Amino acid sequence: MRTESAIRTETFYPHPATRVWRGLTDPVALAAWLMPNDFQPVLGHRFTFRTEPVPPYFDGIVHCEVVELDRPRSLAYTWRGMAGMDTMVRWELTTVTRDGVEGTLLVGVHSGFDLTDPAQLGGFRSMSGGWGGAMTTALDRVLATIEGEE
Amino acid sequence: MPTATDVYTAIADPTRRRILDLLAEDGRSVTELAEPFEMSRPAVSQHLRVLREAGLVSEQRAGRQRIYRLAPDGLREVDLWLGSYRRFWQTKLAALGEYLEATRDED
Repeated sequence: MRTESAIRTETFYPHPATRVWRGLTDPVALAAWLMPNDFQPVLGHRFTFRTEPVPPYFDGIVHCEVVELDRPRSLAYTWRGMAGMDTMVRWELTTVTRDGVEGTLLVGVHSGFDLTDPAQLGGFRSMSGGWGGAMTTALDRVLATIEGEE
Repeated sequence: MPTATDVYTAIADPTRRRILDLLAEDGRSVTELAEPFEMSRPAVSQHLRVLREAGLVSEQRAGRQRIYRLAPDGLREVDLWLGSYRRFWQTKLAALGEYLEATRDED
């Protein structure tokens, strides 16, 4: 479609790729910066991220499956659940030098946002309060709940 | 203002989704839309009518022809949706940076 359907982030960390990789794949580390989880760095492993539910929009569970694993270069998992959402999160790590500092460039792509998919549209509708209305409140509330976790 | 049901019905149909994809590239006339689908012009017109009623497509007269285009606001929900998630990941990736910094000595 005309509209962008993926989010791309680029973040530089002044740490070796192996450390950033651990941040992405160690369940304890993931819980610290993202969400409590039962991730395992195993191809095909099914896991969940869990956070506080926000009834009736979000049951607090993101369903995932590891679909790509190439230590310490790339990692991808499905990101499903929140009201018809069927997306994919992929991470790519590259060793780079920035301003004389050696570190890791982490490129993240969250793809598959597709409001031409009736299931995803319906899910987004239920979370966002309807077509043409005050849109983002419910979704922002859900994501703020996730952000608020320590 | 179209209702949610209008839009839902409009884009649930695979042919109409392909029409939207074509219009995303450029405005087209009914004839130009009918060709790739090997459909009759009345059949295409019927789909376009549904898309227009849902607020997803606009119509513009150009001489004897009518040109159909993607309506600019029709799919703005996608942008709102992505905007929320972009903020989410920015916050999270900053938290990853803090985590890596805080655990620097644990190697």
